[in-house]
Amino acid sequence: MKRFCVRVLLSVAFGSLLLPTLGAGPRQNSSGSKPAAPAQDLTTLKSVGSREAPITIEVFSDYQCPQCRVFFLDTARQLMQAYIPAGKVYYVHRDFPLSMHSHSREAARWATAAAIAGVFQSTEETLYSKQDQWGSTGKIEDALAGALSPTDMKKVRTIEATQGPQIDAAIAKDMALGESRGVNGTPSIYVFHKGQMTPLPPGGVNYSLLKQYIDYLLQQR
Amino acid sequence: MSQASPIAIERPRAKSKARFFLLAGRIVLGLIFVYAAYTKLHFAGAWHVRDYYFFFAMGIDSYKMLPLTIVQWMAKVLPWLELALGAMLVIGAGVRWAGLVVSALLVVFMIALAHAALGGLEINCGCFGNNSVKPSTELVRDVGLLAVALAVTVGGFLSHRAAKLRG
Repeated sequence: MKRFCVRVLLSVAFGSLLLPTLGAGPRQNSSGSKPAAPAQDLTTLKSVGSREAPITIEVFSDYQCPQCRVFFLDTARQLMQAYIPAGKVYYVHRDFPLSMHSHSREAARWATAAAIAGVFQSTEETLYSKQDQWGSTGKIEDALAGALSPTDMKKVRTIEATQGPQIDAAIAKDMALGESRGVNGTPSIYVFHKGQMTPLPPGGVNYSLLKQYIDYLLQQR
Repeated sequence: MSQASPIAIERPRAKSKARFFLLAGRIVLGLIFVYAAYTKLHFAGAWHVRDYYFFFAMGIDSYKMLPLTIVQWMAKVLPWLELALGAMLVIGAGVRWAGLVVSALLVVFMIALAHAALGGLEINCGCFGNNSVKPSTELVRDVGLLAVALAVTVGGFLSHRAAKLRG
């Protein structure tokens, strides 16, 4: 009995030493600041609205893709203004940089760093609205510096420089998810409602038509 | 005893070959249209009989050719029209009229596809729902389908006329 109790105590002690290392994220950096969020949390940082919303819209996009730009500026922004404050839609951004766009992966890295810094929405807005500028030159940092505050830009720069592996892992995770669904172009849009996932026709959607569909779904609940 | 000339023997054979190809073409064309309707009504693993038109309207709108009201009307009507025409061709009812309408539809589709291809629109054609291909690829395919549709239409009118003449 005594030997048994000792064994149990030793197991608990050994287990308690092991537990902190299981599922651990990246090690703390040398400045001792808070460890970054694990890759799976970055989806939330790149999403807008309430997760409890009856409709989730997931968009796989490429910041250098002209159709993604049109979709974001002409449709997504209106959608977010009309449905997100009311808690009707949860909008999820997924990175899917295409190999044909030479700067899209870098743009995705900057956007992910901005998400960690808490300035994702303004970064996304800047990347799409200034796509013409950085798309041809690759000067993404300059485009963002012109839009974000110096403090925010410094934060984003630091994160981009120090959390590369985590950022790359988050982008790879989004791409793997897209590939598993057969995504081969952008924007690719999925609507989730009552447990059902429905893909929209590839290539972006007119806001009026999307609005009609969302209103129809909302009537179903 | 007189023998039939080779030409006289060949004519009925050629006629029955032509009839066979017309029959096969009619049925294949009909099945393609039925399939096109099916892909617009059943996708993502489920039937969308009540909301198919939202998705099809988004696809039609991506061509940037028509006002929204017409897009929405076409989205509601076209899949059922394709289904009806396809069924008529398969069962052989009203072949000449179904063939004529199918030919006209294909011409309309080809104009839209050419507009998309020339405009460099990065869309999928929407012809077979989300299983569709690029407009330029579908355009080539539709040229072949139009040839078959025209043959079926002409064959249908000729048969009808021959039947009328026979009394």
